[in-house]
Amino acid sequence: MKRKKWIIATMLPIYLFTILFVICPMIYMVVLSFMSRAEVWGVVSVFTLDNYRKILEPLYLNTFRESLQLAFTSTAVIILIGYPFGYYMGQLNEKWKKRMMLLIMIPFWTSSLIRLYGWIIMFRSNGVLDMVLMGLGITEKPLKLLYSYPAVATGMVYALLPFMILSVYSSVEKMDWNLVEAARDLGASGMKAFWTVTFPLTLPGLFSGIILTFIPSMGLFFIADILGGNKIVLVGSVIQEQLTKGRNLPFAAALSVILMVLTSLLIRLYRKLFHTKEIEGLV
Amino acid sequence: MKKLLATLLTTTLAVTMITGCGNSADNSTSPATETETTQAADTAETTTEETAQAPALSGELNLYTWDGMFPQEVLDGFEQQTGVKINYSNFDYDEDMLAKLEETEGGDYDLVIADDYIIELAIKEGLVQKLNKDQITNFGNINSLYQGQFYDTTDEYTVPYGAGIPLIVYDKDAVGFEIKSYADLWNPALEGNLAVIGNYRVIDGIALKTLGESFNTEDLDTIQKAGDKLMELAPNIRLISDSNTQDYIVSGEVTAAFLYTSQVNAALDANPDLSVCYPSEGLGFGIMAGFIPSQAPNADAANAFLNYILQPEVSAQCTEYIGYYSTNKAADEYIAPEKKDRLVVPDSVTEGEIIQNISQEAEDLHAEIWKKFQTACN
Amino acid sequence: MKKKRKFPYIYIGLVTILMYIPIIVTVVYSFNASKISSVWGGFSLTWYEALWKDREIKEALWNSIVLALSSCTLAVFIGTLGAVGMSKTTSKFNDLISYLATLPLMIPEIILGMVFLALFSAMGLPFGMPTLILAHTTFCIPYLFIMVSARLIGMDKSLEEAARDLGATQVRTFFDIILPQLVPAILSGVLLSFAMSFDDVVISIFVTGPKVNLLPIKIYTKLKTGITPEINALATIMLAVTILFVLLSRLIGRKSANQ
Repeated sequence: MKRKKWIIATMLPIYLFTILFVICPMIYMVVLSFMSRAEVWGVVSVFTLDNYRKILEPLYLNTFRESLQLAFTSTAVIILIGYPFGYYMGQLNEKWKKRMMLLIMIPFWTSSLIRLYGWIIMFRSNGVLDMVLMGLGITEKPLKLLYSYPAVATGMVYALLPFMILSVYSSVEKMDWNLVEAARDLGASGMKAFWTVTFPLTLPGLFSGIILTFIPSMGLFFIADILGGNKIVLVGSVIQEQLTKGRNLPFAAALSVILMVLTSLLIRLYRKLFHTKEIEGLV
Repeated sequence: MKKLLATLLTTTLAVTMITGCGNSADNSTSPATETETTQAADTAETTTEETAQAPALSGELNLYTWDGMFPQEVLDGFEQQTGVKINYSNFDYDEDMLAKLEETEGGDYDLVIADDYIIELAIKEGLVQKLNKDQITNFGNINSLYQGQFYDTTDEYTVPYGAGIPLIVYDKDAVGFEIKSYADLWNPALEGNLAVIGNYRVIDGIALKTLGESFNTEDLDTIQKAGDKLMELAPNIRLISDSNTQDYIVSGEVTAAFLYTSQVNAALDANPDLSVCYPSEGLGFGIMAGFIPSQAPNADAANAFLNYILQPEVSAQCTEYIGYYSTNKAADEYIAPEKKDRLVVPDSVTEGEIIQNISQEAEDLHAEIWKKFQTACN
Repeated sequence: MKKKRKFPYIYIGLVTILMYIPIIVTVVYSFNASKISSVWGGFSLTWYEALWKDREIKEALWNSIVLALSSCTLAVFIGTLGAVGMSKTTSKFNDLISYLATLPLMIPEIILGMVFLALFSAMGLPFGMPTLILAHTTFCIPYLFIMVSARLIGMDKSLEEAARDLGATQVRTFFDIILPQLVPAILSGVLLSFAMSFDDVVISIFVTGPKVNLLPIKIYTKLKTGITPEINALATIMLAVTILFVLLSRLIGRKSANQ
């Protein structure tokens, strides 16, 4: 009995906070999405389904498709780059682990916007890269690398990669290497040992990495705006625009509700695919 | 009405063209500018000490506007003179500001500077209080051409702070021909070489202008027609951006750009060889103005500040700093001539209109067209 | 014996260098005399001078530090306790709450900002530091919660059970056995959430009040109007301070280890 009280006490703050600052806003958002917009700003309490009907227009459906596509692409690239990084990093000696951890975190403490502008200075026409390439005589004319789909995907990867690295690293770090050695002793090849032992053990890390990258990449509209030259429209940008220039709170809320339902479904799907029952409590 | 505005526009422009790369005051590298501004500030102080008989001021002034709207010297000067501490906070979009005012019911902030169209809405929502003109003794300095506009027809609520006209800037050598009109932006020679600002009323508007229509038309068919025309512009668009758009033409990323006035000035500061086009179809313009929210905690300080920035020398200093057209007639003589004479609209361009709020259906259609246009550009 | 392979080192090194390129560019361009970031106008310290004179930036920096520290502290407390508590019980409610607690990561920031604005004004809270701390704590909690939960799942339970068998109290077990094992996870959670709080623009812009200016908002709005080199200078200084801080703490750590 005493034990139970203790446990409840530890959970009380997160329960309270979640109810007050997550559930309440969410309910508010769902309610908003069924209301009608007021003339100038805000909403009037007239029930309507128009906001959802509007999402079904090809214009907005297309936006969802593109956002998802971009999120998938970036997440795939992030896994390809970030997983080996975290995996190798977890095998470094203690001293280098600490150093790498800091090296990864340091860029985080400079504003992400500034880092984005750093990219622009680097890759723009007549930018640093062009100067180098043209100086070496490799190219003749300035390249046009920015303001395109690959530029946006690269920006997403760059912004979100550390999340994947850190998640994978933390699960590799606590892994029991004896298991791998046991597998090797039993005659498994390096590859086989990796896929049968290491990979399943690092799945929770990979999974939280995916959550931490996939979801934000649907909403990071400023990357799309800055590196895509506002030509690639993500759900996030539409929501932003509806809230600001459009002054259409209910429609923005409806878009957000759909976006959340979509991400929740995807998370469920992942969970099924990966059979990662262990992290049931995670998401 | 349209004609009146046209006259208004051209006369004003001829008189009060100014410039200043958003930061003339920041460029303290040039000692001449620095002494000049300090002197201006000094004179400003003495003038007001003599004229103003404002109520004793105290406390703080919560100023709410975009970043970079006032040179530090002006803010410091007001603080020194009145003892009021200025809290300068920023919003990103006009609508963020409106949301904040709605939620605080016109409280929290003492003075807001924002765009004309949003002020009209704020007044409609009862979020704005009338100015205390007894305190604003310099009200008469305002150029009457910028008064009585759609957002405040009786001039009871606002003091204009600057006016802007989006213009085309281009590199004549790289473009290979002279751009004379909005229609020239559709020229296939500009393929992938055009940067534009992200204001859809303006960009959809130039398509309307090429069809000989008004920026403010509410006729849905006309807007749709302009929208179809706009789609043909898509191949020429390299990027759409509201911030730092001038950077792209200066760096050579694009050869032509359609920019806000402050950006036009910044571009010319960086590269004086760029050409400016005042489109022959007619110009669209907008006004930024200051107003006091209905429940402002310190309205006295806000009125005093408005009065302070209406002083000719201070106003000139602000105008040079932000790089928009001056709305203060008395300030004209204090604006450096090389800045004043830079962006003068030629006599040949006789049409101009202020861009106003339009019906919700028309606005929604604009937004929809814009979204399609953005995607088409990619 | 295990063969030493070179590939992992090369790989890690290469990716790290790529990650640092934009930062190096930022640092270099903070010494650019030209205002326009695409033109190199020669070496200059103008922007550092301008930054030094900028009272608002200094104020904003201080506010951001206070905000990030307070929300991280709160989030560590709430997130860690919550994760530990939930790992000990199995109830449908827990699943739901742990799902919901991570939700702020899924709601687009802009909507969260707007909804917080409405919520706080309905609660009658004055806009400023208190509302900022509440909002930031809300989106910092998921980072800690996720990190700590992930760690708890893979943790060796036998130590804890042994301690309990030997008669240690819950509190004692928590501090002596569980917490030390959680430290790396808490640390990475803190590092992440501190960075997030220090970088947040969208939510902050909605819930801040007239008297609290934050650094990311300043940076964002300044980048919009185009005063980039001053911001580059600021980023350089922040980077230098971070690195200095790291080196110093290592130095002190080494000294105390030697004694």
